[in-house]
Amino acid sequence: MATDALYNTHVKLLAFDFLSLTPAPSDPFAFTRPSGNLLLTRAETLGVVTTRELKPDRFLKFSVDDGTGCIPCILWLNHLTSPYFSRRNPSDVRLVSEAATRFASQVQLGAVVRVRGRITGYRGAVQITVSDVVVERDPNVELLHWLDCVRLARMYAFTLLLMCIRKQ
Amino acid sequence: MASSAINSGALATLQELNSTSPHFKQGASLRVTGRLQEFSVETAVALIVDGNATLKVDTQHLNLNLRLGSIYQFIGELLIQPNNEAILKARVGRNVDGIDLNLYYQSLKLLREFISDQMSSRSS
Repeated sequence: MATDALYNTHVKLLAFDFLSLTPAPSDPFAFTRPSGNLLLTRAETLGVVTTRELKPDRFLKFSVDDGTGCIPCILWLNHLTSPYFSRRNPSDVRLVSEAATRFASQVQLGAVVRVRGRITGYRGAVQITVSDVVVERDPNVELLHWLDCVRLARMYAFTLLLMCIRKQ
Repeated sequence: MASSAINSGALATLQELNSTSPHFKQGASLRVTGRLQEFSVETAVALIVDGNATLKVDTQHLNLNLRLGSIYQFIGELLIQPNNEAILKARVGRNVDGIDLNLYYQSLKLLREFISDQMSSRSS
């Protein structure tokens, strides 16, 4: 398993793990855990929405509490006015904008949401720049997310350990 | 990197909320789960139960239809009154009817073991 094996993968992370990520020295777009050298650029979280701050046509900031920490999330809503998107196909931008507006309406206090997006840094803190939101209705889905995160983290750690042993 | 400003509701069972528990602290942010046994429309205070443990929950800030007998999960801050009785001032709440409570307790145990392992490996 190479250190970039999970690059561009939405890695399921518990909030306490996500909040410990730091920028990777070797890559301006990647982050690493304190105990590992895996390069991570995207994450998936699942939890209860506990804060919500909407700036219409600009952004929605919200927090997802998974019981181990709160992950700050930002959902951009400025696709139709930002110069960043001006060189893209207008119909694609309109679709992205409509999806973002729909996601923003689904993110309500107390809702359980599954959020995927890029890991980004803002004012010294890590956050998720949201690309996808799914509202979860089944109350057991959060438990399955915890177990998935634990299983995957142990699997990555074990694989990295094997790599180190093989190198020696 | 720096952490976010809002406190996460630490996962706690009602059985753990006694005066010897690390969760039993003034202002502690908690997430609790229990079946709604009583609800006062005048005070908006709910009583939730889990086994023989109970907890009062102040729901005045919530926009939630409460139904006796249903299971709810609340996130909020613990307020310990002078008589040592605790009440959770809920920030958010939701109906979790259909939750597998046995799976919940087993998953919580595994989650805590994992977090403890991770924290100890980081500090060593």
